Amino acid sequence: MSASASPNSKRPFWTIARRDAAAGYIFIAPQLLGTIIFVLIPLGLVFYYSLHEWNVLANTFTFVGDANYQLLLRDPNLPQVLWASAVFSAGLVVLNMSLALLLAVLMDQKLKGIVVFRTLFFSPVVVSLVAWTIVWSFLLQVNGGINGLLSMIGVEGPNWLRQPGTAMISVVVVQVFKNVGLNMILFLAALQGAPKELYEAARVDGAPAFKQFRRITLPMISPTILLTSIITIVGSLQVFAQIAILTKGGPGVSTTVLVYYLYQQAFQFNFFGYGSTLSILLFLIVAVLTFIQWQMRKRIVFYEN
Amino acid sequence: MTHISNLKASAALAGILLPLAFGGVAWAQDAVNLRMTTWSANEAHMALFNGIAEEFKKTHPNVTVTFEPLPFDNYTTTLTTQIAGGNAPDLAWIFETSAIDFVSSGALVPLTERFNAVEGYNLADVTESATALWRRDGELFAYPFSTSPFAMFANTDLITAAGAKTPSELIAAGEWTWENALASAKAVADAGKDGIVIRDFNYQNWQNLTAYFRAWGADAWSADGKTCGFNTPEMVEAMTVFHNAVFKDGSLPGPGENVDFFTGDAAMTVTQISRASLLPKEDPFNWELVPLPAGPVGTYSVVGQAGVGVLSSGKNVDTAVEFLAFFTNAENSAKLASFFPPARASLLNTVTLASTNPLLTPEQIENVVINGISTGNVVAGHTNYAQIQQTVRAGLDALWVADADVAAVLDNVCTSVSPLLMR
Amino acid sequence: MKTDLSPRMKVALYGLLCVLLVPFVFPTWWMITSSVKPISDIFAFPPDIWPRRFDWTTYQKVFELQPFARQYWNSAYIAAIVTVGTMIISSMAGYAFARIKFPFSNAIFMIVLLGLLIPSEVTIVPLFQMFLSWGMINTHWPLILVPIFGAPSVFATFVMRQFFISLPGELEEAARVDGLGRFKIFWTIALPLAKPALGAVAIFTFLHSWNLYLEPIVFISSTNMFTLPQALTQFTDAYGGAMWNIQLAAATMTAIPVLIVFIVAQKQFVEGLAHTGLKG
Repeated sequence: MSASASPNSKRPFWTIARRDAAAGYIFIAPQLLGTIIFVLIPLGLVFYYSLHEWNVLANTFTFVGDANYQLLLRDPNLPQVLWASAVFSAGLVVLNMSLALLLAVLMDQKLKGIVVFRTLFFSPVVVSLVAWTIVWSFLLQVNGGINGLLSMIGVEGPNWLRQPGTAMISVVVVQVFKNVGLNMILFLAALQGAPKELYEAARVDGAPAFKQFRRITLPMISPTILLTSIITIVGSLQVFAQIAILTKGGPGVSTTVLVYYLYQQAFQFNFFGYGSTLSILLFLIVAVLTFIQWQMRKRIVFYEN
Repeated sequence: MTHISNLKASAALAGILLPLAFGGVAWAQDAVNLRMTTWSANEAHMALFNGIAEEFKKTHPNVTVTFEPLPFDNYTTTLTTQIAGGNAPDLAWIFETSAIDFVSSGALVPLTERFNAVEGYNLADVTESATALWRRDGELFAYPFSTSPFAMFANTDLITAAGAKTPSELIAAGEWTWENALASAKAVADAGKDGIVIRDFNYQNWQNLTAYFRAWGADAWSADGKTCGFNTPEMVEAMTVFHNAVFKDGSLPGPGENVDFFTGDAAMTVTQISRASLLPKEDPFNWELVPLPAGPVGTYSVVGQAGVGVLSSGKNVDTAVEFLAFFTNAENSAKLASFFPPARASLLNTVTLASTNPLLTPEQIENVVINGISTGNVVAGHTNYAQIQQTVRAGLDALWVADADVAAVLDNVCTSVSPLLMR
Repeated sequence: MKTDLSPRMKVALYGLLCVLLVPFVFPTWWMITSSVKPISDIFAFPPDIWPRRFDWTTYQKVFELQPFARQYWNSAYIAAIVTVGTMIISSMAGYAFARIKFPFSNAIFMIVLLGLLIPSEVTIVPLFQMFLSWGMINTHWPLILVPIFGAPSVFATFVMRQFFISLPGELEEAARVDGLGRFKIFWTIALPLAKPALGAVAIFTFLHSWNLYLEPIVFISSTNMFTLPQALTQFTDAYGGAMWNIQLAAATMTAIPVLIVFIVAQKQFVEGLAHTGLKG
């Protein structure tokens, strides 16, 4: 657009800066409008709904002020739900990041056929999430494939999805195996981007492999670690299909994470008002977490482009 | 209505920002498109429904009826989402457990007067007991198109092979009790197959246990819905027996074990008689269908129900009621009876039911279906059923481990669910 | 880190890799083999690595029970449109945020980033209301418009921005001296360089759309309009009992084509991902 600005004007209105600004706005317009329509306005509406009691069946929509927020403070399930969310997210991030890093280091070795391994480790990423989860729901049953494999080596496996401790572990692990390949590739790219000379120097100095890893590798890839951890945490707070298919939030409420609880309240119990209130809470949690991580960048990132 | 309209207006405001042409819904002057949501996508069911809709079209050429199967698992959720979005279907199937929510909320159109106005409809033919759940203050809000008793299917091959007594042998001896049924089940389980499957229970949908614990006179809550029934002595006794059967005797498959009676892997299953259609056609086994075993309270029976109603927020209420009257008149009820046991007294006889249920013997129809329907009580429902179901489910989870303290767990269930029952 | 490894070290590494592979490969293998097992063999304990009996009718039944081909097409065309649309929108926005100076650009970027922080579950109710007022319930529009313009594309914009920031400025300066307009520069210089990042965006976006589960459940209600993830959970008998082998056959069919495409194109795939702006 800016290229076609009129060249005939005596005093050009379209200075380079103005052209740039116009081009900039045109370039971002679809994204900005989309954000406003599909993110910000709905978010505003969610806040509006959260001030109401909305009975779908009876077709009533009543202003109740902060009643839903009062309910939030008194909800006997909420502490457990928040705890479950925290355990899920923490478990997911720690497991995902460390396994991804381990795999990336392994993929970085000079080995024949490493591409085949890389392909296989990455393959779950492209399998449809619902298909992957359904398969695991079979495998994790008490007489399913996992316990079958365990019995071959003489171990009697637990009833994975039905016991409070193992249910959460199962949901986390299924999600880790599904997506760790993505982080593995990102780490691998970062590892391969690290300057070789540093390692040469370290080797000349006789630094052991572990020391090289801690002193050189980790600092070099710290920006990648930060970004992938943000993405993984934000993603972990949006887990839905996995819970719905694997545990339906049980046993008890041990795997009822906030998003699933929100879905239950709004869509299953028809408390759209309270569900909206939970949405606001979820939004605030994500916002605070992201802010903290962004702040931490200054501390943990040793190297930025 | 106006509140929802406000909501729509505020949402539509956003719509102005992105003026997108939306296609299609051209309302020809008279054309009426009715939508009925179902939880069955079964082809045979659909063929039957579409046939009825075609018949209706003969007298109402401008009306098209489409049947929209929604996923069984999320049926009520999806339905209420559609209603919330102002996209309510004209007619909808309703589960017995959410009957109270729908009937009492005003979401459904009252039917009594309108049905009586239809010539030859004969609402009086529909039994009082079958409609109890679907009435409020005497007014009918939905038609119980399926009233299906819970019964016991048994694989006599497995039971005989294990050297145990089959249900019909026990009945002949007057010993058809839960105690003996569980003993036969244990024999089959000890022989390497599985015992009794409470179908669709899966250690989550505990309402399916109703067909079991009613034998002890226990129920989820009192008749008025106010008092929790899980910590009554009857329930504790029933659940203790159940717990032992699962974790000590192994006469019922445990939590998370997938066992299907209809593939020939279990001795018996408690389910509704309409599941007879799942019996295998290839590699069949010898089976029988018998009433539920007796318990401490003697014989009893439980029915599952499904209703169909007209949504008051639908766009063509009058036409929808007309269609519902046609769909459930005596003639079409007889057709529906091949899948869904009817609530009409005139159809509840061996001859009619035998012609539509070729899989069952007249004797089975008499003992199980007709007796079951006439004496059975429906599974307990409640307002805010989904939340209550979920709360009890979460509480009962603690019961499904080998070393559970039955009484304590059931006490906890009542502690958490009582406030919800009171509301 | 790359050093030549001793043979013993190599053997140990191969062993470790093979053990680690089990949870990544076994589920897919089990899914494929179980899809041709009769239902009673699926739960054989311990599981069979190779089916004892084959029942190929499951694949036929997938198409009989649901308009599966139609649903396949739905998922495929929606994912394709969403992918192309997102690539256009996010590369433009990402370029502008990275390389063009205009008033409030940082503030606007922050606003747009909000989209990244809002799980789709949060806004699903109002979105339902909006699409209803536009007459778009039970159409594919919500599954196309929201990902292209809404929260999911924000991530793509973020990736593109990170990539464009890392491009050296001199490339453009020369073009600007030559009097090229912004759009030309974007189209002829920046975009061709951004192929790896675009590739990554395409992959992310395609997978996201292909996997979408909650949104179709909420917005789509007729079987003909279903997408694959939604259809997968629908292989049940009339009473909600799962038809496991048929469900697994359907799941296999949703996974295999994507897996094959991935294996064939895995080099570009992985390189594309590796070159995102996520490096830092």
